Amino acid sequence: MDRNNNCGFQNGTLPSCAPLAMAYVPMQESVKPVYNPAEALSRGTLFPGLDLPFMNMVNTGDLTGTPLGELMALDFVAHELALYLDTHSDDTEAFEIYKNILSLAKTAHEKYVKLYGPLTKQDLLQSQSFTWLKNPWPWDYCGKMEG
Amino acid sequence: MFIYQKKLQYPVKISKPNPALAKFIISQYGGPDGELGASLRYLSQRYSMPYPELKGLLTDIGTEELGHLEMVAAIVHQLTRKMTPEEIKKSGFEAYFVDHTAGVYPQFASGTPWTAATMQVKGDVITDLSENMAAEQKARTTYDNILRLSDDPDVNDVIRFLREREIVHYQRFGEGLRNAIEKMDSKNFYTVNPAFD
Repeated sequence: MDRNNNCGFQNGTLPSCAPLAMAYVPMQESVKPVYNPAEALSRGTLFPGLDLPFMNMVNTGDLTGTPLGELMALDFVAHELALYLDTHSDDTEAFEIYKNILSLAKTAHEKYVKLYGPLTKQDLLQSQSFTWLKNPWPWDYCGKMEG
Repeated sequence: MFIYQKKLQYPVKISKPNPALAKFIISQYGGPDGELGASLRYLSQRYSMPYPELKGLLTDIGTEELGHLEMVAAIVHQLTRKMTPEEIKKSGFEAYFVDHTAGVYPQFASGTPWTAATMQVKGDVITDLSENMAAEQKARTTYDNILRLSDDPDVNDVIRFLREREIVHYQRFGEGLRNAIEKMDSKNFYTVNPAFD
């Protein structure tokens, strides 16, 4: 796959001649540029080239001021990279970034669990009792409370 | 096998209950272009996909859609907390309320229950990926329409996140189609269906 096009990060490449009766979406040619994790979470994408807001209204708040927000941002970036790698499995640069984010997300996960309790059943290994049922649940309104 | 994570993909904190908004946001839970149909469509299409990158993509996007289903439910749940009978009547929520109280039920904004007739698993690589690209655009339009109707900043913040995800998924399904046709007979993509023949 040609990754050295000159059409900029907001565009991708198409074949110069393409068969009739087939839809072609331009391939994203490079994993870069990327937003930082906080920006990626609030924009809803890691990739500035895919960031196409409705009526130019965008979320600007930084959600990463808490251990949960920090973890959400890193998990989100990891997921964005996983989707990119599903269609660009030979992109070694993207895979290196992916591994780095997975490692940061693991640390953030452990930090959250220590402070607030389990996110997965596996995390109960660190609990003294069955804290899985402890409130809040993700859908409950908890205002500014962390958890 | 799925493992539950006790957190949302993106935070939902709706400070002001407002059942009038819940009346149409429920459509992205169980409506014609909602997250329930999206997740079931992708997770069901996986089994007839012949190529590993498409099995991977459908698994990953289908799983993310389950997370979005939970986020939309969280919006509806928080919008309908602590309602009084007066508020229910004033906001026009009584038709939903009488059938479901403050439960979260998969239905269209119009009240029709979720139906598998709104999605397709055709068992054909080109057809299923084309369906998915259309589905992402339909969901994107629905979120555009929700943003037109809602003036609650806490709701719109989450809706803008969900809307942007549709655009990213559209790109990835398009790339998935590009990868798939690279493996097919370029003189005639329609010679055979690699998912069956």
